[in-house]
Amino acid sequence: MRQIAIYGKGGIGKSTTTQNLTAGLAELGKNVMVVGCDPKADSTRLLLNGLAQKTVLDTLREEGEVDDLDLIMKRGFGGIRCVESGGPEPGVGCAGRGIITSIGMLEDLGAYTDDLDYVFYDVLGDVVCGGFAMPIREGKAKEIYIVASGEMMALYAANNICKGIQKYAKQGGVRLGGIICNSRNVDREHDLLNAFAKELGSQLIYFVPRDNEVQRAEINRKTVIDHNPEHPQAREYRHLAEAIENNTQFVIPKPMTQERLEEILIEFGLMENLKDNYVI
Amino acid sequence: MVAKVAVAEKEHKMSGTIEQPRFTCALGSCQSVVAIKKGVPILHSGPGCGGQISRLIGQGEGYAGGSTAPCTNAEEADVVFGGEKKLRSVIENSFKVIDGDIYVVLTGCTAAITGDDIAAVTGEFQEEDKPIVYVEEGGFRSNNYASHERLVNAIIDQYVDKFKYSDEKEEGLVNVFASIPYQDPYWSGNLEGIKKVLTDIGLKVNILFGNESDGVEEWKRIPNAQFNIVIGPWVGVKIAKHLKVKYGQPFLQFPYLPIGAIETSRFLRSVAEFGHLDEIRVENYIKKEEAKYYAHIEKMADFMLEFRYGIPRRVYTIADSSYALGFSKFLLNELGIIPGPQYIVDDIPEKYQDRVKEEFDNISILQKRTVEVVFDPDAGKNQLRLEEDAKNYEDKRILILGSSWDKNLADKLHADLLIISVPVQHRLIMNCGYTGYEGGLRAIEDIYDRVLATYR
Repeated sequence: MRQIAIYGKGGIGKSTTTQNLTAGLAELGKNVMVVGCDPKADSTRLLLNGLAQKTVLDTLREEGEVDDLDLIMKRGFGGIRCVESGGPEPGVGCAGRGIITSIGMLEDLGAYTDDLDYVFYDVLGDVVCGGFAMPIREGKAKEIYIVASGEMMALYAANNICKGIQKYAKQGGVRLGGIICNSRNVDREHDLLNAFAKELGSQLIYFVPRDNEVQRAEINRKTVIDHNPEHPQAREYRHLAEAIENNTQFVIPKPMTQERLEEILIEFGLMENLKDNYVI
Repeated sequence: MVAKVAVAEKEHKMSGTIEQPRFTCALGSCQSVVAIKKGVPILHSGPGCGGQISRLIGQGEGYAGGSTAPCTNAEEADVVFGGEKKLRSVIENSFKVIDGDIYVVLTGCTAAITGDDIAAVTGEFQEEDKPIVYVEEGGFRSNNYASHERLVNAIIDQYVDKFKYSDEKEEGLVNVFASIPYQDPYWSGNLEGIKKVLTDIGLKVNILFGNESDGVEEWKRIPNAQFNIVIGPWVGVKIAKHLKVKYGQPFLQFPYLPIGAIETSRFLRSVAEFGHLDEIRVENYIKKEEAKYYAHIEKMADFMLEFRYGIPRRVYTIADSSYALGFSKFLLNELGIIPGPQYIVDDIPEKYQDRVKEEFDNISILQKRTVEVVFDPDAGKNQLRLEEDAKNYEDKRILILGSSWDKNLADKLHADLLIISVPVQHRLIMNCGYTGYEGGLRAIEDIYDRVLATYR
């Protein structure tokens, strides 16, 4: 069983990428579970064709305890098992502890069965506290993929996430499997992401081009593979799934300094472009 | 030698960790609420916190303390989803089942980390004019000395202030901030002792805690006081400073517990001078009390003289700064017992340590004398230091002024032990106190009691 956590800046497309990617893996005949670790609980919407899932924490809140796996786990596209951790209402409680609680609960309920080939944790934006690092601690996800784009803040966040991975890599076996670029059509994005990944000691595992078909599928509450299997974008996600399936490069990332990160951005002309954009 | 090495090792390895802390976390101020007549602490914490605290500092439950104290028993779900709803229901039900005069919500670590909005929840009840106050503590915020000050200030700001009807001060009315209830195991008797002598020289005293207090009604008179008296080297100063700004009340600080005639008279004279009291009345009182006091000692003069080789040659103190100073002055100047090393365990902030040191440097009223003072809240280390030092006095009688945690050490050294610090497990304390003239006599009785009990 490969346990994989997907991190990346908020809004970068982690959930979209994870679901399209797992749809691809399901097509390859893999048994997959997706665990949404975001209090917004929208990590499995495209696989379940809607927000059909009751979250672990909502169940806990209403029932007082969770004793039945079927209450919190639903099968989605291609038989993918979908779980949403959920979280407290915005502004109260501790979402980080919520993640810890719900992953602990999944273990207790025996969600991690031997027939699973993959478990994906779709984690919110950044490793803000111990709770959100839970999926990469000892015994959980051993592989991390960071979704990024050519935008500065996305790379800044990715670099920051690598600091978290580095910390846990020393204690356990967690490794960075690569950077997935979810393209924003930024100039020289491919080169930039390649250089960025290389600087981290990792790889750009796949470059997912931007295509509005993704949005069309999302409106229909579906992954691209489900919505329009013949579309070129569906092929892209299948290739991404294959790249993950065949990946052998797992490293302890070497996060860079802010200065070095900016140097790379300047090297690829991003800073100049930014300046141009701000011309009044 | 072994002990010395052990101390060195501990200093090296254990920095940041202490053994046998003789105080507790910020939530410990719940004991101060228990000490207010019909005061009800409402703990928003895990179920163990209150129990731990009352076992370490506190004998008995008081009105609504110990295992009686309402508690949210915060658990995992309260961390994840926030514990505000549960707190609201615990407050509502506390009002229904416990007939209290003042309710104080105190938060433990978990609620503080999660960020429960205690102010908002308590505020709902405050708007209904319920006698309720909150203190956002979080055990980790400080020790219970600092949180005691925050608690008192919170009650003043959130409750007492509502009843302030004029800026006028009442002639002769004073607020006293002395012993911290339960942290000082003799707080009840000590506060009674202080109230007695102050009342006897003509003051009206808001003592605020314990039997001699008029409870919440007395708290409501805090703004009317003419001035404030802080007893002790540091705790209470923040309250007095707060009141100085809030109600324009000046304050007098007397840096230790006044025990016995010399120090009680000194205390009363300084209060009289500060408050411009009737000097003749005060002096007449002092004269009368001292005469009574020394008559008791005179009565025992022969015995005390004959027994002078029976009393301890070496006296160690492991105690809070206020006690250590009070007892040392008393022992030296009243009983002629020279104080040995002072291990001060109340985690007194550095800025106040010099003042305490200075008091120890001027401890003798007759001649220059220095006393060894060690400021270290690690009582485990202090025990090692004590044991090491005691090796130089193996053939001498030793008295330890300490806590129940020093009993094993005292037994090992064949020393006598008088418990003046928490935790107290080997003595039941009702209203025993050592302050004032009578308290001094009590201290003499207790010291001789310990010594005579083992004398052969």
